[in-house]
Amino acid sequence: MRKTTRKFLAVTAGVASIALLASACSSDGDSGDKSTSSSSASAPSNDEKVTLKVATFNEFGYADLYEEYMKLHPNVTIVNDKADTSDNARAAVQNSIATNTVVDDIVAADSDWMPELLASSDFFADLGSDTVKDRWPAWKSQLSTTADGKLIGYGTDSGPEAVCYRKDLFEKAGLPTDRAEVAKLLNGTWDNYFTQGQKFMDAKTGAAWFDSIGALSQGMINQLEAPFEDPSTDEITVLGADSKAKPVYDLLTSDKVLGQSAHLGQWSQDWTDAFKGDKWATMLCPPWMTQIIAGNAPDQKNWDVADALPGGASNWGGSFLLVPEGGKNVEAAKQLADWLTDPKQAAAVFVKYGNFPSQTAATTDPSVTGKTDDYFGGAPTGQIFSNRFAPIEKQPYRGSHYFAINQALSDAYTRVDVDKTDDSASSWKKFEQAVKDLS
Amino acid sequence: MTSTRTPPAAGPTASDERDRQQRRVGFSQKLGRWDVKLSPYLYISPFFILFVVVGLFPLLYTGVVSVHQWDLLKGKGDFVGFENFSTVLQAPIFWKSVRNTISIFLLSSIPQVILALVIAALLDANLRAKTFWRMGVLVPYVVAPVAVSLIFGQMFADQSGIINQILRNLGFNGIGWHSEVLPSHIAIASMVNFRWTGYNTLIFLAAMQAIPRDLYEAALIDGANRIRQFFSITIPMLRPTIIFVIITSTIGGLQIFDEPRMFDQFGRGGADQQYLTVTNYIYQLGWTNKNFGRAAAVAWLLFLLILAISVVNYLITRRIASEGGAKQKKRKKVSA
Repeated sequence: MRKTTRKFLAVTAGVASIALLASACSSDGDSGDKSTSSSSASAPSNDEKVTLKVATFNEFGYADLYEEYMKLHPNVTIVNDKADTSDNARAAVQNSIATNTVVDDIVAADSDWMPELLASSDFFADLGSDTVKDRWPAWKSQLSTTADGKLIGYGTDSGPEAVCYRKDLFEKAGLPTDRAEVAKLLNGTWDNYFTQGQKFMDAKTGAAWFDSIGALSQGMINQLEAPFEDPSTDEITVLGADSKAKPVYDLLTSDKVLGQSAHLGQWSQDWTDAFKGDKWATMLCPPWMTQIIAGNAPDQKNWDVADALPGGASNWGGSFLLVPEGGKNVEAAKQLADWLTDPKQAAAVFVKYGNFPSQTAATTDPSVTGKTDDYFGGAPTGQIFSNRFAPIEKQPYRGSHYFAINQALSDAYTRVDVDKTDDSASSWKKFEQAVKDLS
Repeated sequence: MTSTRTPPAAGPTASDERDRQQRRVGFSQKLGRWDVKLSPYLYISPFFILFVVVGLFPLLYTGVVSVHQWDLLKGKGDFVGFENFSTVLQAPIFWKSVRNTISIFLLSSIPQVILALVIAALLDANLRAKTFWRMGVLVPYVVAPVAVSLIFGQMFADQSGIINQILRNLGFNGIGWHSEVLPSHIAIASMVNFRWTGYNTLIFLAAMQAIPRDLYEAALIDGANRIRQFFSITIPMLRPTIIFVIITSTIGGLQIFDEPRMFDQFGRGGADQQYLTVTNYIYQLGWTNKNFGRAAAVAWLLFLLILAISVVNYLITRRIASEGGAKQKKRKKVSA
């Protein structure tokens, strides 16, 4: 009798533990469930407690805004999920799409990633609504709108480019130092910019004219309409006979221009450390770059900003807020994203953090245009960047291979300028090989 | 045990009952035998089941991925046979990454093992504050690789790094740690050695402490000094451990990912692929270019490369360690 009860107990225990395991494993299945389980929160959440996770990187300047929003909506708790680098944030979004799991209710994305995110537009919710109509200029909202007109991202900040320059080095070289005069000097064509650069180099101040040709390439590529791919077919055209990027490359890797470079690749350790010295006199400056200069050289009093950009107004950078469709609180997340990217909030972020808004109404807001920057000698940076923002009409077409081709081109410039392992022709050959490997 | 004189009767009888009882006893004996034979396998099966699910299946599935056109976000495409392999084998970047991987592996593993042996021998001696020294050796292993890479990255910066500044003060030109091939490998290998030497030292130390002390005493009486003892006793007795450490160093050294990735601001192994390792190339193919099929092909090629080099390592190590014994035999013959 004892034997059978012991066996019976053993069998029951085994079955019970297997049942426990099975039920524990199955409960994870809901996280990837795409069927709008957000039905419970589809109505604007007035009373239901909602927790929203926002994934950002670098500094979006939302800390105060979160507090304000939570005061306005007491039932909402906002959790910040900041990635340590923008590349890691991009990898996180890609993994989330590839595994079809939703980790954050709102995801911030850089404009460089938008092409690949547009390719997976089903993963994200349609954010179009009447309140956001015409909030952004066409060139900005185009980057987050699919071919069928579905808006998947709200624009956050933008990067209208100006030129930052070192007053003391200009003075040493006999060039004007007043902001307005420098703007007159540098506005115009890129050939004019390099001619002024030659004048600067001839004065032998010991500094170079700019930091690296890779940095200039960023600005010049952003002024072209279709630098790498054909907008209608998405085919790679950068290697063809009518490539728009090749003339830019030839100009920048010519001896004349290379002689004006400080040979310091952007974002490298050497480049960051060189801010403490007198290595270059001008650089292309979107608003976010001004903060980086101030951070790398806090004791340098001679940086200033000129309302100019050779080649015409252009934008470098800027981000979007997207809402994954499979999240648990899609409606609440949409509301938060809408509020965060409202012109009023965007203007407040610029005044405190320096991220220039992309909303048309915000760029002409008096609090924005009235802002000055002490680091740049009291320069009216708000007005300058607003002036740089208004004429922008186009952004380069970003196809599915834009990011990878841009990286390969950056490597091509680094080989010639910084590492000096190749000359212009052999570096382009390696670039061709890298682009061919993409398809 | 039943009596054979009683003839079998029709219907159930006492003897049938006794037969049945015997069978029941026999069956539980069988169960006992099965228990002894099978339960070891049952006890180790959880590990192997887990390995099959988490290790072996992905390994084989990577092979499946490598023979298809596979996009990271769009998923499985057409079956393309060995096209991914042939494209990869013809790409100059792949061969550069193999060159870099083998070079960094040799520059890191060889000094590491030698240094670990020497330091372990030193730690094996009768030091004061033994535990402090032994724990101290492990501290570099505990520091996060990213932190190590940041610090070494600053030290090895081409223009503003400390090492080049010292070289320039001494009158030499600075070395292109990031722009040239061999210097970048040396810089990365130094980061790897910094991290792993302590780990290997402790493994050798543990094995050394298992060597019977009377061997050393006998050698001491015969007049052998410390260095002679090291080469004639310690190393031959450590042969299995040396083989283990070399094989794990090989497998790890051929898969180095963190240090080359953190070495510059882009993480692509240098503008001219000066220090792009194969694992970095896999990451680039799979996540930047989103070509999973090709990344899987490179992953399988790396696996075969590691197998090949491990076999070579094993054959070399066996010869080296046993040569020590052969030499002694030869010397004995001469003296006799």
